[in-house]
Amino acid sequence: MSLSKRMLAGLDQDIRDHIERETRDNIEHGMPPEEARYAALRKFGNVTRVQEETREVWTVLWIEQLLHDVRFAFRTLRKSPGFSILVVLILALGIGANTAIFSVVDEVLLRPLPFSNPNQLVLVLGAPLKQPDALTSLSYRDFLECRKHNHVFSELAGNGFHDLTLTGAGEPSIVNTASVTPELFPLLSAKPLAGRTFVPEDGKQGAAPVAILSENLWRSRFGSNPGLIGQSISLDYRSFTVVGIMPASFRYPVDAPPEDVWIPVAQDPLFGPLMLRPGVRMLRVIGRLKPGVSLTQAQAEMETLGARLAREFAPQDSGFTIRVLPYQQIVVGGAKSPLLILWGAVGLVLLIACANIANLLLSRATSRGREIAVRIALGARRSRIVRQLLTESAVLGLLGGVAGLLLAAWGVWILRPFLPPDVARINSIHVGGWVLAFALSLSLAAALASGVAPALLATPSNLHTSIKEGGGERTGQPGGQRVRSFLAVAEISLAMTLLVAGGLLIRSFALATSANPGFDPKNVIEAEVSLPQFQYSTPQQWTAFSKELLERLQAQPGLRDSALAAPLPMDRQGEANFEFSIVGNPPLPPGKSITADYATVSLDYFRVMGIPLLRGRFFSEQDSPSNPKVAIISETLARRYLPNQDPIGRQMRFGFPPNGNVSREIVGIAGDVRDVALSRKPGPMMYVPFAQAPLYGGEVVVRSSLSASSVAAGIRQAVHSIDKDLPVTDVESFPEALGASMAQERFRTLLLSSFSAIALILAAVGVFGVVSYSVSRRTHEIGIRMALGSAPGTILRLVLGESARLVLAGLGVGLPAALALARSLSSLLYGIRPSDPITFIAVALILTGAALLASYIPARRAMSVDPMVALRYG
Amino acid sequence: MSTKEQKERIELLQGTLDLLILRTLLPGPAHGHAIAKAIEFRSDEVLQVEQGSLYPALHRLIKRGWISAEAGTSENNRRAKFYKLTARGRQQLALETSKWDKLAGAIARILRPVEQESES
Repeated sequence: MSLSKRMLAGLDQDIRDHIERETRDNIEHGMPPEEARYAALRKFGNVTRVQEETREVWTVLWIEQLLHDVRFAFRTLRKSPGFSILVVLILALGIGANTAIFSVVDEVLLRPLPFSNPNQLVLVLGAPLKQPDALTSLSYRDFLECRKHNHVFSELAGNGFHDLTLTGAGEPSIVNTASVTPELFPLLSAKPLAGRTFVPEDGKQGAAPVAILSENLWRSRFGSNPGLIGQSISLDYRSFTVVGIMPASFRYPVDAPPEDVWIPVAQDPLFGPLMLRPGVRMLRVIGRLKPGVSLTQAQAEMETLGARLAREFAPQDSGFTIRVLPYQQIVVGGAKSPLLILWGAVGLVLLIACANIANLLLSRATSRGREIAVRIALGARRSRIVRQLLTESAVLGLLGGVAGLLLAAWGVWILRPFLPPDVARINSIHVGGWVLAFALSLSLAAALASGVAPALLATPSNLHTSIKEGGGERTGQPGGQRVRSFLAVAEISLAMTLLVAGGLLIRSFALATSANPGFDPKNVIEAEVSLPQFQYSTPQQWTAFSKELLERLQAQPGLRDSALAAPLPMDRQGEANFEFSIVGNPPLPPGKSITADYATVSLDYFRVMGIPLLRGRFFSEQDSPSNPKVAIISETLARRYLPNQDPIGRQMRFGFPPNGNVSREIVGIAGDVRDVALSRKPGPMMYVPFAQAPLYGGEVVVRSSLSASSVAAGIRQAVHSIDKDLPVTDVESFPEALGASMAQERFRTLLLSSFSAIALILAAVGVFGVVSYSVSRRTHEIGIRMALGSAPGTILRLVLGESARLVLAGLGVGLPAALALARSLSSLLYGIRPSDPITFIAVALILTGAALLASYIPARRAMSVDPMVALRYG
Repeated sequence: MSTKEQKERIELLQGTLDLLILRTLLPGPAHGHAIAKAIEFRSDEVLQVEQGSLYPALHRLIKRGWISAEAGTSENNRRAKFYKLTARGRQQLALETSKWDKLAGAIARILRPVEQESES
């Protein structure tokens, strides 16, 4: 038992004993018993109070005082609701923005991957020796070698992606399919919901086809049928036995759309037959490091192995090396730097909010100067009063924090649809747990940070002057005005930094969206048609299907302008990026290669898309499989690799793997196209006629004045009239696709500009506060000036001059900070330099305008000062 | 207790009661009632402690480690809590006593000349 408990336990008995003794004494002195007891009680005093006071001896004082301070803080804050609400609102904005961004940062950057020991997970990828950042997948042969000859991984597994057509369960549809090696599931410690995962035998060529379904697909397409295990489903018209169901929580890779179906690589209709060919790089290999093995060790061993494979599998693997990268790093990928920038930006918003609140608290503390002085005179220590003022800030902070959390929860809800879909783990972003702790500690820290200076300034070390001057509105604390101006300047400079960042992004976004994509997206509808491999297995079938489809499409009224391509700009164009060589050009140094984006297109593609022909001719009927192979190159390819010469008639060698070495004659030069994103400058491109290089599917593009829905219906009808089991997916208008390609840019531009808008408002409020305070402080002086004949205009200039000085100082301080932030943004900018003068000038003008506007109200008040009143009462 | 009674007594300054308790315990341990009685008796009943206020003070002194409490039996063989000066309490008493002497002396020096002036 603690000392305090032991002491308090006997207290009642002690008091009873005491009173009894006193009673006995009194009786011995001759009092009658009744009176003796009464006298004893009287002499003892209030028993309850004694008990309370004794108990208080043992209670910790600061908790009592804190509770008292908190109660007092609530009372004072309730007395000035306007002030309290304003502070809470400002804090809520700052905390809310920070919490919303932090919840994304937490989910995307900080949260460990949803696998056991995620730090052991690495990706094993190939890369050309000369371009170590151009990561590619590994071939199955490479994977087997890595798996067999290493001492660093406890397991390796590979996966590729290949969407398949699911038929026989409702509408035919395309399902996201991963072709995996059986080791994937044990490597990730993934347990099935029902059935089993793959066993090594499933991965062998010639094994019976098996498939694992996702819980989602199992529920949506098979009605959660518990008997599905052991039954067969039809993928690409081939029967697969379902052996297991994976729970919805299992997602690999985490940075891709959720998979619906997993099949062994050997069963993949596209990869299966090619899996033993060297140079067919289709496996994204994940490895688990043995405990205690470092990344560097693994990297070293894989480099040695890579060098051996490069010799053994020449020429396909020549010049290739193997790289080992932490999986977490790959998942976070490109999201990291924009997120960190956004995080920094909200941090600045919060700083501005704090400066603002500090300013408000300062004004309030000053107007309470007399109250504070009296309390000090009555014996309150300075530290006690500072503590009480800080408690008030903390109460405000927590109120603001709670409001901010509500705002953040709402903000995350609002933001989610705007988030670009490829941000990893987007759907699990929410406010909770860590985020809650983060928000509350941040709000406390913010409130205390903004409260310290005002609290110290409000409690004068020199009591005498303070009481004499009354701490009234007019005088204020000596350091007050300086601190105020400093805060306003800080706010303006921070706001400038944010506005410049926001402005640069807005300008980039505007430039990028108005950039000419190289084709005319208006009135173009696209739709994806893919052919099941097992039914349409030969290139002749693919060609025949595409011809048939285009004929049927073009026969429909209004769909005359139809074409086929694979892939399309803004869709997957750019993913097919192949090496090429130009016959007659000097050979490239070994290990170096030149690549261009590849597309196979039907005859009318260029016309339908509005891509201009610059030289030569478009593809025509004569470019049939039996005639010489031809190609059309883009302007950039011609300029870069065939400068100052006529490319028409020259021979190039390239092709869709595995037929990568086909000689083609250049017959035309087409205009450049932004094929990956509007914000990416066009790169070299090469086109081949679909008839000479058919694929098992493609994108239909139709330019039509008909409505999007009737075009979509037309496409479906044409496809289904050929084969009713073919899925038509991803029907969208091209402008929509263009918009989607800008989703990331739009998102961060939107966020950063809203932050800058908040910053601008807060800075304006800050200037307003400083100037109006200064005006009220100088009422007396202004009165004298007016009495001496100053015109109202002079007074106006006086006040606006003060705010202009603040703005100039703020801009001066903000300029280098803004330049520094802008430079860190440069990777996100398009078409402008970080030091874009237009942005900087516009920001300076906007800030100056806002500050002058904010000081106009106090200036008006200053102009209307009645000299008589000011001199008498001021 | 009535207002009349209160006026005739001298109210104890904050902290003075602590000093008196320590002094009372210097000869040896005592229980609460005995301490109260001793203070009253020794000051010729001028300092009448409101007896209850003794207890918070006792607990305060225990918390500071200047006195300790232990169970014992009183003169008429009854259980009672005895309070005893600790070594630290003894030091504190010496310190406080000398401080008090200085203060009393200083106040006396200030008060006496004023009295003489006003008399002359």
